[in-house]
Amino acid sequence: MLHIFVRIRQRAFRFAPADRAPVVLHHSRIYILPTRRGLAVIATLLLMLLTSLNYALSLGLAVTFLLGGLIASTLLHTFRNLAGIEIKPLAASDAFAGSNIVFSLSLAAGSVDRRGIAISANGVTVTTAVTAGQLATVTLAVPVPARGRVALGRVTLSSTQPLALWRGFAYVHFPLAGIAYPTPETSPPALPAGEHGFDARAQGRGDESDLAGLRDYQRGDPLQHVAWKAVARGAGWFSKAFEGNAAGGPVALEWSKLPLDLDVEARLSRLTAWVLDAERAARPFALSLPGTAFPAATDAEHRRRVLTALALYPEAPA
Amino acid sequence: MIALPLRRSVAPADPVAAVLLAPAQVVSLGILLICAQLPQAAYLPLWVGVLGVALVVLRFALLRRDRTRKIALPPWALAIVALAIALLIRKQFGYFVGRDPCVAFLYVLIGIKFLEVRTLRDGTLLVCLAIFLLITPFFYNQSPLAAVAALPAVLATGAALEALGSKQPMPISARSVRAAWLRTATMIAQGLPIAAALFLLFPRLASPLWGLPADRAAATGLSDRMSPGSISELSLSDAVAFRVDFDGAAPPSRLRYWRGPVLSLFNGREWRALSPRAGGRLLEGNAPSVRYTVTLEPDDHPWLFALDFPSTLPEIDADGTRASAGGLAGYSREQQFLTRAPVTQPLRYTLTSLLVDSYPVASAFEMQQNARMPPGNPRTIDFARSLRERFPDNRRYISAVLQWFRDEPFFYTLAPPLLEESQPVDEFLFDTRRGFCEHFASAFVVLLRAAGIPARVVTGYQGGEINPRGGYLIVRQSDAHAWAEAVIDGRWQRFDPTAAVAPSRIERGLFGSVPAGDPVPLFAREDGGWLKSLQLTLDAINHQWQRNVVQFNRDRQRALWREWKVDEFAPWQIVAAVAAGVTAWGIAVLAWFAVRRKRKERALTLWESACRRLARGGLPRMEHEGPLAFAERASRRWPQFEIAFRAIGESFAMLRYGDMAKRESERAALLATLERAIEALPRAGKLRAMT
Repeated sequence: MLHIFVRIRQRAFRFAPADRAPVVLHHSRIYILPTRRGLAVIATLLLMLLTSLNYALSLGLAVTFLLGGLIASTLLHTFRNLAGIEIKPLAASDAFAGSNIVFSLSLAAGSVDRRGIAISANGVTVTTAVTAGQLATVTLAVPVPARGRVALGRVTLSSTQPLALWRGFAYVHFPLAGIAYPTPETSPPALPAGEHGFDARAQGRGDESDLAGLRDYQRGDPLQHVAWKAVARGAGWFSKAFEGNAAGGPVALEWSKLPLDLDVEARLSRLTAWVLDAERAARPFALSLPGTAFPAATDAEHRRRVLTALALYPEAPA
Repeated sequence: MIALPLRRSVAPADPVAAVLLAPAQVVSLGILLICAQLPQAAYLPLWVGVLGVALVVLRFALLRRDRTRKIALPPWALAIVALAIALLIRKQFGYFVGRDPCVAFLYVLIGIKFLEVRTLRDGTLLVCLAIFLLITPFFYNQSPLAAVAALPAVLATGAALEALGSKQPMPISARSVRAAWLRTATMIAQGLPIAAALFLLFPRLASPLWGLPADRAAATGLSDRMSPGSISELSLSDAVAFRVDFDGAAPPSRLRYWRGPVLSLFNGREWRALSPRAGGRLLEGNAPSVRYTVTLEPDDHPWLFALDFPSTLPEIDADGTRASAGGLAGYSREQQFLTRAPVTQPLRYTLTSLLVDSYPVASAFEMQQNARMPPGNPRTIDFARSLRERFPDNRRYISAVLQWFRDEPFFYTLAPPLLEESQPVDEFLFDTRRGFCEHFASAFVVLLRAAGIPARVVTGYQGGEINPRGGYLIVRQSDAHAWAEAVIDGRWQRFDPTAAVAPSRIERGLFGSVPAGDPVPLFAREDGGWLKSLQLTLDAINHQWQRNVVQFNRDRQRALWREWKVDEFAPWQIVAAVAAGVTAWGIAVLAWFAVRRKRKERALTLWESACRRLARGGLPRMEHEGPLAFAERASRRWPQFEIAFRAIGESFAMLRYGDMAKRESERAALLATLERAIEALPRAGKLRAMT
């Protein structure tokens, strides 16, 4: 019994992220309710109906019913504007807490022109129009206040076309989530000394003024070091090599070596800031958290895994 | 292709109220208001009519002069203006809580509100007020013209709602307005089955829900008093008093006496009716009878006109609604039908009359009441006495009076000279001798009463015109008439002294009987020409309209239901039928959408098949290439098929990217062109061989 109730609830409201991409909106998903303007107009029509009946105004009734027919047919138009839309999740960007996670979704119009489709999730709304046969990519920039896993949540597609008397809406809930990394500390202390006894400060922070030359791009090179001008010229993929690259040794970022007076969030903030510093200096970095450790590396995948671990701490990374 | 989102916003807490109106939205609201106001304006005092529209136009002017600066009128200033106008309207009508002053106030209020309209919520309010104003002209007029006049506002309602609902309203131009009206018209057309079903099936009220306001229309028509000049004044009006459909042939004009108020009280100058008393008796007998249906125009009196003399009670074509004027109140001693309330809406009733010219006297008291002579008019009394001495027999005496009218130089005219206040009958009979029917009827009755014969004046309509377009009778105010009846052998006998002077008035109507220079109204003339013919056609349309649309009331609806056997269904069956009907309608409209879509998809399928064939023939379409460019390239490759390629490219481009509002027939033609052009292309193998 309870099971059936849960299933009906899920079918009606899609509270659980159980939709598998792509979802095509059908009549079973589309709800239509009058807007406040629609209610106001319907109330006015009822008043006109009463007046016409009372005064036996046949033409008053005719006009009232004509407008009633208009309201009825706009209901079908509202339904048609949503029915047949195909929606699928594309990606969720990762972001630092305090900024926005950008979720992108793809909307296929199918064979009908779609006008004024509002897509909203997590309190963010984007309105778009898609012509028949076309695709639109919709990006929802969801502000994230705290670190952790941020689900896109239930997406509401809605439309009040054509006369904003009815609001048609449908719920779609994909298991799409992004990671909000801890907010980096604004002015962190210098990177800790590396395993090999290098002092980051002594070695100097290899910044971009110390460009040493170009070398062949390798998978995992940080994107900000790619020589985009060369790529744009069509010369091929190169990475910029910096002075600091050669000089910087690996950095060990260790939870246990942070000052004892820092609380958990402050520690994570500092470690995040250091990860970014190390990356900027193009130095390999290793991270050890209670229960987890990542060996030193420089590539983007490593960075992502490290930051994710920081974001989800104390949860063990998947 | 990837389309970027048009707009990105974080939803505000109150999205409707917080958003300000764009100029385009204000303009489409203004168009709606003007369209809703204009049909109403004619029924308002002039200053109200002009003021309401002027306020809307003022806002337009403000909008045009200064687009950027916000129009900031303090709300209290507008409230004061509204109050002042309410007081002025109170002064104009003498009361405020009533239908007419309230309509007038609503009309002006819309203009005032429009001056300060700023947010979307204001816009919604204005739309609601404006659509209510759509039905108010029907209080005063339900003609086909009034219905047509409401249509622009209905279309403008759709356009205004569309503009209000649009996040980025298009700038207003004649073209955009036309397109929006067209879209609304399409949606209304789709909703038409629902509207028609509601009109036919929505139950009408058996009795009004709230008290009907005491508004009095200044209708032209007969009244319950008559003085010299009162009927000749009416004769100047072309207004229709009522229309009559006869079952079978209409009786001849000389028998068409439509009985109205009967006037018994005379003060020497003015005739007045006694307060009505029940006691009329329907006639029975073998005289030729006629059954007919009268469609009475509202005249604000509780009278139902009937042909002399009714043998059945009138069956009023509604039960208890306002239109029926409260139903039949009774049949007066003077053989007049009365309704409970004044007739303020068109009213239909059916009855049978016997075509006779006398009926029995009700009582001796009645004879007494109709023998009283007021003081004055001594010359008339002297003349009557001398004539009576020669003709002691009532019947002979009356013939002698009529003969005297015939022999003496009396003239029947629409423009009689004014009579003095003191002795009008004397002056008419012996000095001016020019008069209209009320002069003759009045003088005749006075002559009879002076001779001791009970007599009275009967007012009503005489004759009427058969409309050859519709086969029904039109009775106009210009057919208003006064005649007399006198007691002979215990019966009230009809006499028409006007007929003695101008027999053609009774046979041919007003135009045939008055001097040529008299100002006879256009439609009472016989030489009206094409204008009159046009008017008769319009009147026939109007009559059908009144009968089938305006008078579609509870009775007619019930009759229709009986015909359709709606009554025989159980309530659940009716509910199920309505649900099935609505579903069928929804499916039909959605299917219509699908057909249009299929046509579009068919174009794409055809185009893709052509592209595949060309690709196999050695000319694949580039990703970036549109239909026109690809057709151009193909024509260069195979010049011998240039015409086909162009046809394919152009028709596909039109079908795919052309104006959405293009007519279906054009789309079908384009699709056929595309299909034929593709058939004209050779197979892929041949194409390859040609290069």
